[in-house]
Amino acid sequence: MAGLIARARAIPSWQLTLGAAMLVLGFLVTAQAGAEPSRVQYTSQERPPLVETATTLQSQQDDLKAQILQLRTQIEQLEASSAGNGALVTNMNQQLQQARLAAGLVDLQGPGVVVQLEDSTQAIPPGAAPGDYLVGASDLRTVVNELWLDGAEAIVVNGERITATSGLTDIGSSILLNGAYLQPPYQIVAIGPKDIYSRLTSSDNFAQFVKARIEAFGIRLGAGALDNAVVPAYAGTVALSYARALPPGASPVATSGVSAP
Amino acid sequence: MRSRRAQWTIGFVALVLGFLAIVQLRAQAGGVGLANLSAQDLTTLIASLNQRNTQLASEVSTLEAQARSLQQARAQGVSAMGGLRDDLDRIRLWAGLDPVTGRGVVVECAGPMTADAANDLLNELRIAGAEALAVNSVRVVAATVVAGPPGALSVENVPLTSPFRVYAIGNSINLTASLTRVGGIVSQLQVTSPDVQLTVTPEDSLVLPATDRSLLPVDGKPRL
Repeated sequence: MAGLIARARAIPSWQLTLGAAMLVLGFLVTAQAGAEPSRVQYTSQERPPLVETATTLQSQQDDLKAQILQLRTQIEQLEASSAGNGALVTNMNQQLQQARLAAGLVDLQGPGVVVQLEDSTQAIPPGAAPGDYLVGASDLRTVVNELWLDGAEAIVVNGERITATSGLTDIGSSILLNGAYLQPPYQIVAIGPKDIYSRLTSSDNFAQFVKARIEAFGIRLGAGALDNAVVPAYAGTVALSYARALPPGASPVATSGVSAP
Repeated sequence: MRSRRAQWTIGFVALVLGFLAIVQLRAQAGGVGLANLSAQDLTTLIASLNQRNTQLASEVSTLEAQARSLQQARAQGVSAMGGLRDDLDRIRLWAGLDPVTGRGVVVECAGPMTADAANDLLNELRIAGAEALAVNSVRVVAATVVAGPPGALSVENVPLTSPFRVYAIGNSINLTASLTRVGGIVSQLQVTSPDVQLTVTPEDSLVLPATDRSLLPVDGKPRL
C-alpha cells in the first residue's frame, strides 16, 4: 500500500494533467460519437440535401421580396412624377397611395402592442403529446384574431404582414405564413388604438388562451404596449389568377352568389 | 527538454479538446430550425417555398414591366394615366376594396359551429389559395374575424344564423380537395363537432361584394 502511494507520488504532475485532459477528451469524443448515430438514425439519407434546398429557396425568397419592395418604391416615384394633366395625376396618385395603405403595401408605425410566444421548456411527462408543448399555428391565430377584434389595424408575425389572403399553418413543428418559414421565437406586432394592450389582456379569449396554453403547457409568453410599433409592408404578390373585376354595369347585390340563404 | 515536450503535448490536447467541445455544443444547438423537420415535412416546406417563389418571381416581372412602361412614358413625355389606373385597379381588387367575380367554392355551414372553427375554415381556404372570401354578404379582409358563442356568431357585427355560407374565389379543385382531404377541416369537425355539417360545392361563377370597412389606418401612420 505504502509502495503504491510512493509510486503515485513519483508520477510527474504534467503526466497527471495530461491524463486528466485525455480523460475529458475521451469523454467528449464518446459524447460526440454517441450524438452522431442518433441524429443519423432520426434523419434519413435524403435530409441534408433537402435542408440545403429549403435553405436555398428561403434565401431566394428573401431576395425576391427585397426586389419587390425596391420595384414598388421605384414605381411609386415614377407614378408620382408622371407626365399629364397635373390635377388628374395628383388625384390618381392620392388614390394609389390610399389603395396601397389599405392593401398593406406600406410600412406603418404607431401605438401598438407586441406579443412574443416561445416553446415550452417544461419536461414533457410520459404519455403527453410533445406537440402541446410547442407554439403552433393555432396559437398564433388565436392571438392574431383577438388583436383584430381589439381594433388592430395592421399585424405582422416575425416581419410577415398579415393580409386578406394570409394563412397560418403548421409544417411539422414549424409554422408557415405567406409561404415564408417562421422561426421561433414568434413575435406578433400590432398597430392599433392606444389601449390595445389592455384590450388584449383583459379579453376573455386571451384569458382562455393563457389558461389553456401558458398555464397548462408552459408555452412562454411575453407581451407589452409599444408607443411606436413598426409594421413593415407586405412583400408579396398582389396578382390574382381567378378573381376578376366585375364587368361594368354588373351589380354584386343582384347575384345569387352573395345572397344570404 | 522533457517539460518542453510536455507543454507542447498538453497544448495540443487542449486545442483538440476545445475544438471537440465546440463541435459538441454546436451539434446540440443545431436541433433548432430546419434540421429538426422530418424528410416529409421538408418536402412539404420545399413545395410551398417553390410555389411561393414562382409567384414572387412573376410579381417581380410584372413590376419590372410596369416600371419600364412608366419610364418609357416619361422619356417620351406621354401621359401614363392608363398605367396608373391599371395599377390602382390591381391593388384595389386584391385588397378587397372592389367587388370581384370568378370561380370557386361555396361552403355551407350548418349547426352550432364555434367561432374558432369558422375562423379555421377561413384560414384553410386562404392556405389553399383563395383569392377572395366572403361570409354571407360580408367580404372577408385581413381583419375580418368571426366572433361570438356557438349559435350566436357574428362577423363584422352582422349576425350569422345557421346555416351560413362561406364563399371563396380560387381554384375550385384545390379548394375542395384541401377542405375535404383526410385530416382536413371537414373530417376534423365531423369528429369534434358531429352536429356541425359542412357542405362544399364548387361554383363556376361567384360574385363577392367589396368590403364595408375603411381599410385606411387611423392609429398607424406611414413610416417615413
